[in-house]
Amino acid sequence: MSKLGVFDLSVRYGKVPALNDVSLTVSEGERVFISGPNGAGKSSLLGAICGSVATSHGRIEMDGALLTGRTPESIARLGLSMVPEGRDIFGSLTVQENLCVGTGLRRDLDAVQSDIEEIYEAFPILGDRRHASAGALSGGQQQMLAIGRALMTNPKLMMVDEPSLGLAPKVVDQVYDTLIGLQEERGLTLLIVEQSSLRAARVGGRMILMRGGAVVGGGDAADFADREALTEAYFGKPETEAAQ
Amino acid sequence: MTSLAQLFFDAAALGGIYAMAALGIALIFGVMNLVNFAHGEYIAFCVFALIVPSTDAAAVMFLGKAPALLLIPLILTIGALVAMASEYVVFRHMRKASPVAMMISSFALGFIIQNALLAVYGGRPKAISLWPELNTPIDIAGASVPLLQLIVILTTLAVVTGLAALLRKTRIGLEMRAAAENFTMARLLGVRANVVITGAFALSGALAAAVALIMVTQTGVADVRMGGHIMLVAFIATVIGGLGSLPGAVAAGFLIGAASVLLQAFLPLDARPFRDAFLYTLVIVSLLVRPQGLFVPNSAKPRV
Repeated sequence: MSKLGVFDLSVRYGKVPALNDVSLTVSEGERVFISGPNGAGKSSLLGAICGSVATSHGRIEMDGALLTGRTPESIARLGLSMVPEGRDIFGSLTVQENLCVGTGLRRDLDAVQSDIEEIYEAFPILGDRRHASAGALSGGQQQMLAIGRALMTNPKLMMVDEPSLGLAPKVVDQVYDTLIGLQEERGLTLLIVEQSSLRAARVGGRMILMRGGAVVGGGDAADFADREALTEAYFGKPETEAAQ
Repeated sequence: MTSLAQLFFDAAALGGIYAMAALGIALIFGVMNLVNFAHGEYIAFCVFALIVPSTDAAAVMFLGKAPALLLIPLILTIGALVAMASEYVVFRHMRKASPVAMMISSFALGFIIQNALLAVYGGRPKAISLWPELNTPIDIAGASVPLLQLIVILTTLAVVTGLAALLRKTRIGLEMRAAAENFTMARLLGVRANVVITGAFALSGALAAAVALIMVTQTGVADVRMGGHIMLVAFIATVIGGLGSLPGAVAAGFLIGAASVLLQAFLPLDARPFRDAFLYTLVIVSLLVRPQGLFVPNSAKPRV
């Protein structure tokens, strides 16, 4: 059974359509990248799945449960966690408080403390600064904190929106190493929006290409490393462009 | 000439009332961007809960007859319940509305509560004598201070430290602080919007009840319009303090109280009747110099 299923999903902001009849599935334990130009609807798709963006048509299921129509908090409680674009760290809270915000939905409260220690092991810099204000962290550290914070909800499916945005390439390497390590360790399912298909090809996984609010292609991420496939996805084939 | 100690106690007591009222407004603004103008009517409602419902000129104590140890928690609970009920009936359905629409609804709700009080209790202010012994002056550092002033100052300190502890040390406090900074993100982490918002309203209503008890003890009057002035001052305090900042609301509440007392003491006699004009001039100056508020929260300066 698929972990996540999106069926004929449409989203519009007022009269402006952001997603048109998008369908896709993600399997348990899979790593899926969503790539495409600005305005392709990638963030709207993630927003619709996690419940922060209202859908106008279609349905979303996780583990067979219907997500559409639920509030963000009840979707989070089903085991879906989100690392949003721009991280959205709580800057006025300490690093440790940020990690604790998402533990309210958990039943296994005894495990929370050891999970926090585990996050500090994965990201030692967060441990060093656990009582510091999260707003004072660098961009890369905030990205790590956002990932750690999402993990503290003990998710089954984690969505990460543009983890490399505004980060130095070296830091991006580190972020991806950690994500892959965590995925292997916990059997997480990962859905990642990544502008750089080259980066996705290097990390490995399945690729879904979006453009103009629709899925326009997909396959093994490794196949999208070359320029031609990308250009085609971003600008369309010359004849289809002409047909429009 | 009043002594410096006297001025200090006057300023701290008045500021304490303003600070508690401002906190009640800032708490709700923090979690849902609502300036709740019905807050003043929560105060009036709690005052009238003390007396027997009737339009007679003379007030007959009802809940007010209860001993203090019972009366205080009772009135605080009533304040919390009124605020929670108004959230449930009105504001819950306006979560996606614009802040302006919510603010106007809060005005409407305030008028409804005020008119309901008018219908039940009549429009004439009534004399109430709650804990009159608290107005006996005692001597401290050469100043003659009513016991109530001391109680107000101590209550404010207790409320502020208690609230700070609640926000810092408890689960709901953590969720409220996270929600105040970024509600959507908090919800994405499983924080229940209804729990946090209801909690903020309950705390805000309890603060209104505390202000009500202090005001009625101090003035000895129950008036359906009694919440209007303090609501206005408290709202100004939350703006000067930086909307959404709880420490800012407290500090600005004390600041306005102090400025008010100092103007009263040091303005030339002829100008004293116009004290409020001077006070609000200071408010305008403060907003011109720091439109973002005197005490801006950390979250207002994000780091990229």
